[in-house]
Amino acid sequence: MKLKMKISALLAGLLVSAAAVGMAHSGSNVPPLAPLGDPPIPLDNKQSDAKIKLGKMLFWDPRLGGDASTGCVTCHEPDQGWAFSDSLSRGYPGTVHWRNSQTVINSAYLGKQFWTGSASSNESQAKSAATGAVAGNGESDVMEMRLAFIPEYRDLFKKSFGTEYPLIADAWKAIASFERTLIHNNTPLDKYLRGDKKALTPQQVRGMSLFNGKAGCIACHNGALATDEKYYNLGVPPAERWEDDGLAQITFRYEQYAKGVTQKMYRKIKDDAGLYYRNKEKADMGKFRTPPLRYTKYTAPYMHNGSFWDLKEVVEFYNAGGGSNDFTDGTMAKNKSPLIKPLGLSEKEVDDLVAFLDAFSGEELVIEAPKLPNYAPLPPPASN
Amino acid sequence: MKAISYKTRVSRVLFAGAIGVTALSGAIIAGENEFGPVGQIKVDAKKAELGKRLFFDRRLSGDAALSCASCHQPDKAFTDGLALSKAYPGSKGFRNTPTLMNTATRKNWFHDGRLGTNLNDVTREMITEDYIMNMDMRLMQERLKQDPVYVKMFKDAGYGEPSNGSVRKAIPEYLKTLTSRNSPFDKGEMSESAKRGFALFKGKAQCASCHTGANFTNDKAYNMGVPENPEIWSDPMRHMTYAAFGVFMGIENILNLRRDVGAHVLTHKADGSDIGKFTTPSLRELKYTGPYMHNGTFKSLFEVVSFYNQGGGQDKNKDATIKPLNLTFGEQQDLVAFLEALSGDVLNTKEHAWKDEIPTNYTAIKNWRAAKN
Repeated sequence: MKLKMKISALLAGLLVSAAAVGMAHSGSNVPPLAPLGDPPIPLDNKQSDAKIKLGKMLFWDPRLGGDASTGCVTCHEPDQGWAFSDSLSRGYPGTVHWRNSQTVINSAYLGKQFWTGSASSNESQAKSAATGAVAGNGESDVMEMRLAFIPEYRDLFKKSFGTEYPLIADAWKAIASFERTLIHNNTPLDKYLRGDKKALTPQQVRGMSLFNGKAGCIACHNGALATDEKYYNLGVPPAERWEDDGLAQITFRYEQYAKGVTQKMYRKIKDDAGLYYRNKEKADMGKFRTPPLRYTKYTAPYMHNGSFWDLKEVVEFYNAGGGSNDFTDGTMAKNKSPLIKPLGLSEKEVDDLVAFLDAFSGEELVIEAPKLPNYAPLPPPASN
Repeated sequence: MKAISYKTRVSRVLFAGAIGVTALSGAIIAGENEFGPVGQIKVDAKKAELGKRLFFDRRLSGDAALSCASCHQPDKAFTDGLALSKAYPGSKGFRNTPTLMNTATRKNWFHDGRLGTNLNDVTREMITEDYIMNMDMRLMQERLKQDPVYVKMFKDAGYGEPSNGSVRKAIPEYLKTLTSRNSPFDKGEMSESAKRGFALFKGKAQCASCHTGANFTNDKAYNMGVPENPEIWSDPMRHMTYAAFGVFMGIENILNLRRDVGAHVLTHKADGSDIGKFTTPSLRELKYTGPYMHNGTFKSLFEVVSFYNQGGGQDKNKDATIKPLNLTFGEQQDLVAFLEALSGDVLNTKEHAWKDEIPTNYTAIKNWRAAKN
């Protein structure tokens, strides 16, 4: 009886909040914010304890990189929000990356990875990051063979995948399995949306109404994940480092070259054209995927190039109606999203909204670094 | 006096380069099977100068840790003095660094002879190979475009803006300048012992059946039963580097092998009879290029000569011509004296080695937004 009542109270709470969301955002059919459930697990890479243990070690292991000095963790540092706290990600030694490192937390829910959705899964994201020249710069042959010379890894790969010697594709699978355990779905907002009315402060509740209403955030940051996973140009300004940092200029040009734009475009492009690199459609210049909002408390700086150092700056950017760049002002294109307009939020409303954004983050996710096993000589071959 | 005449020749070569003559012509080059000086190769001076700076520039490797000169050091006739080379960080080499002296006269490259086209391809292989310099050449191009010194040097050399293709031309142009000169053998100033050694070399010891021509090599591969260097199999980093190479070269059953298959990577004979063949090395500049053999297994030339004297090593694929030579101790010493007489000038001055500082950072291009990429 008691249990039943609890459940109905919970259900009522859910319905009320859903209704409030739906009402608040009139005139558009977007899914409301909702508590986040469990991440999807792909049928071809089911979770197992051995695999998760292995994936965790591999996530930290710098031998999955070109010169054995860079692992996943190099640009996804647990104490930097499982991201990297600089505008542009660290990059391989001798380079700097050209985009902001995104958090690994909750990446398991995303349909596509990277700022322009260029990887279709955590598995393929891991591979791209480990092999890209300004990221891991590793070569599959070499990384695979390194794993074969680590007895603990031979055992764990065998337990996880049944192979005699590790295969590099299985390394990406194991890392993805580990990443699917890095889940953040019990935030104050999740609790609130599940019916705990005390989980948000009154200020945060006001901020939520703005999020769903006047500020229009919900138009893109919607659903359980707070992203529609679509691509928009908000007029985020170009990275400052391209103006005055030789290393960043090198990487910028390299990316134009590596992403296969025409020579004409290579010569004149001066900002990150985003989704354009994937399909070469002018209409997609400067567009980036709506990022999810959970765990953002720990992942500063923000936006695809880390232009903003705190969430208030981000909110003020939106309040001002976004910004401008070469792909909004007609230099290269005029692709600014029509959804981005001055919001007319008062200073108090800005603070309310910022306070609400804080509710997307719960306790910091801390994990002890694993002990990494050493290389050992390969046992003599079985005589035959 | 000889040294002076050599210098005169160099200035003529440089002058010819300056007016754009790039044809390869050995003024006093020895014939295919004749012994004699290697001779100079005409180069385009500006292209070679650019190639020299590139050769000494660590920014040509992925993490900017290594230049070509890290392993090919001028003081050691462009080798590194190690039995097994160092390789890119995170890997360890499984072969001995070969000299680059006279490399432009070779017919194929690497101890297994796996490239037989040209130094353009060799340059590409060295820069991009994961265990060597691990460089994405697209990123390399953009690094070079960021250095005003290179922008000018590429332009002055007639290459236009810095590009991957031009790097692969400029470095070989520099390598053409690395030719042997002024050895006692070339100058006719050999000791009596070395002279006796030369006679043995051509006669009783039969060295000249493979070590022929001005560069003392026929560029062909043979199996002499050189023992394996056990460090390749006991050091997991060397072993894994070799195994990754083997996978890339299509060698079967690689993790059960405990030997360097050599030229088999090129010829892939089904019966495995080509396993353990390695290309005849040049005998020039040996004084500076030890340890010896493809895996650095012999520390001294006397060890090498003794090895041949006993009829090489043990291998089922051993070449039939490798038999005991019955040389006396004195004859072996004479042979060593002759081999040493094939070493000449060390090319470690400014003429062949880049001595100016090469920056390791990059200045920003001013007014970047207005500049054409």
